[in-house]
Amino acid sequence: MARQRPSVPRRMERTEEAMGRPSVGLYFILPAMIVLAMLIAYPVVYTGYLSAVDVHGHLTGKNYLNVLRPAVTRQAFFNLIYYVGGSIVFQVILGTLAAILLNQKFWGRSVVRSITLIPWVVPGIVAATTWAWMFHTEFGIINYMLTGPGLLKAPIGWLTDRNTVMPVLIAINVWKLFPFVAIMVLAGLQAIPADLYEAAKIDGAGFWEEVWYITLPQVRPVLVAVTLLLVIWGLNAITLIYAITGGGPANLSLITPIQIYQLAFQSFQFNEAAALSVLFFLVAAIIVAIYIKVIPSNAEAAK
Amino acid sequence: MSAVAGERKQRATAHIVVAIASIVLVLVCLFPFAWMAVSSIKKLPELFTVPPHWLPEEPTLANYWTVLFSSNIPHYFLNSVIISVGATALALILAVFAAYGFARFEFQGKAFLQSFVLVGQLLPTAAIIVPLFITLRYLHLINTYWGLILVYMIITLPLSVWMLTSYMRGIPVELEEAATIDGASRLGVLFRITLPLSMPGVVAVVVYSFVTCWNEFVFALCFAQDASVKTLPIGLSEFSTEFNTDWGGVMAASMVMTLPVAFLFLAFQRLFVGGLTAGATKG
Repeated sequence: MARQRPSVPRRMERTEEAMGRPSVGLYFILPAMIVLAMLIAYPVVYTGYLSAVDVHGHLTGKNYLNVLRPAVTRQAFFNLIYYVGGSIVFQVILGTLAAILLNQKFWGRSVVRSITLIPWVVPGIVAATTWAWMFHTEFGIINYMLTGPGLLKAPIGWLTDRNTVMPVLIAINVWKLFPFVAIMVLAGLQAIPADLYEAAKIDGAGFWEEVWYITLPQVRPVLVAVTLLLVIWGLNAITLIYAITGGGPANLSLITPIQIYQLAFQSFQFNEAAALSVLFFLVAAIIVAIYIKVIPSNAEAAK
Repeated sequence: MSAVAGERKQRATAHIVVAIASIVLVLVCLFPFAWMAVSSIKKLPELFTVPPHWLPEEPTLANYWTVLFSSNIPHYFLNSVIISVGATALALILAVFAAYGFARFEFQGKAFLQSFVLVGQLLPTAAIIVPLFITLRYLHLINTYWGLILVYMIITLPLSVWMLTSYMRGIPVELEEAATIDGASRLGVLFRITLPLSMPGVVAVVVYSFVTCWNEFVFALCFAQDASVKTLPIGLSEFSTEFNTDWGGVMAASMVMTLPVAFLFLAFQRLFVGGLTAGATKG
C-alpha cells in the first residue's frame, strides 16, 4: 500500500489550495471518529480494566488464572484454530477454482456468477438451520443420498458423532464463504492484461501452466487480502456453530467466541469473560500481525 | 491437419469440463435452497418420512400460515427492518462526511485515523461483547432499538467509510474546483457535486450495510434478549433449538428471511460486487 502513495500528495496539495485550511478535513471526519472511538476504543480499554479487577473493583490476577486453568479453554482454542485453518484452506482453493471457471467464456456465465454468490449473501442463520436439517440423522436428505446408493451402510449422526462434527461444520463454513473468495479473485483475474496470456500461448503454455505462471502470481495480492479477511471472519464466527451444535456434543465443537459468550451471558462471570476476551484479542492480533508481516515479504522473495 | 483436429478435440474437451464444472457449482450453491423450499411446503408427517420424498405429495402453505399468523416472526421481521434501516442510514450519514474528509483533505494524524478505521473493521467482535453489554446497560440501551442500531455502527461504519473514501478519490477534483470558483460552499460542493457523482458507491454501501445488519447474529443475541426487540436471526434460532423442532415452520421462516436479502442483492448485484471488489484490486 505504501508504495502506491507518491501519486496522491500532488493532487492533495491542489485540493487544499482549492478547499481552504488543512484542518477543515478534521471536522468532516470527527463525528464518525467519535462514534467509532466510543464503540471500539472505549470497550477495548474497558475490557482490559474489567479483566484485571474482581467484582468489587479490586485489582486481581484471578480472572486470568480461572480462565486459563480449565482444560476446556485449551480445547476451545484448538477447536477454533482447527475450524479457521481447515475452513480457509478449502475456501481459498475452491474459491480460486470457481473464479477461474467463472472467468471462462461460456453460455449462461452471468447467471452462474450470480448463483455462485448466493451462499455468501444468505443469512448465516438460514444456512445453519438448512444444513442442520439436511444433516439430520434420521430424516436428513444427506444420509438418504449416501445410504440410498450404498455409499454408507447406516445413517451417520453427522452432528453428534465426535469424528464428524468438526469436519461437517468446516464444510458448511466453506460452502458459505468460498463465493466471497470467488468474486474477489474473479475481479483480480479480470484485471490481468490479456497480452500476458497471448505471450504465454505463443510460448506454447498449456492451461495449467498459464494458471500456475501467470494467473496465480497476478492474483496473489487479492488472495493475500482475502485470506486476511477470512482469518478475521473465521476468528469471529459464532453463528454457524452456535446455531447448529451450540458447541456440543461435549464441547467437541466449542470455540473461544462461544466460550466467551457462555461465560458472560450464561454464567454471568463478566470479569472472567473479559479476561478471556483479552487473551482472545491478543492471540487474534498476533495471528493477524504475523500474517501481515510474513506474507508480503514472501511475495517479494518470490519475485 | 492433424494438429488442427487435435486442437479442436482439445477445445471440445475444455467445453465439456467447463459445462460439468458449472453444473456442479450451481448444484452445490442452490441445492440447500431448493431443499429449504421443498421442505417448507411439506406437511409435518411427510417431513418425517423415511426415505424422504424429493417432491411433496401434497404441497401445502400451512407452514407459511403458521409462520405469518401464529408466531412472533412477523414482529421480529419488523424489528429487523427498523434496526437494519436505522443502522444503515446513520452509518451512511457519518460515512459520507468522513469519506469526504479523508478523500479531499490533508491533515495531521490522517494516516493514523485511517488505520484506526481499518482496525475497526478487523476487530474481533467477540472480544468486545462484554464491555459493550456493560456500557449499553449503563446507558439503559439493552433491549432497545437504539442499542442495536448504535452497536451495528461497529460493523457498518468502518467499511462504509472505507468504500466511500476510495470511491470519492476516483472523482476528478477539477469538478469541485470549478464549483468552488463559482462560489459554492464546501458543503454545497459535497452535496451538489461529489455526493451525486458517488451514487453507485453509496448504493453499494447501503446494500452492504443493510444485508450485514439483517444477517447479524451475535450482537443481537447478547443485546436484544426481550421479545419486543428481537431480530429475525434470533427468532429463527429459537424456532430451531426448541425440543421438538418444527422443521416445516423453520424452513418457511428461513424462506421469509432470505427473500428480502435475495431481492436486494439481485437488484443491485453489479453495483454491490463492483463496490466491494474495487477496494481489493486497487489495493
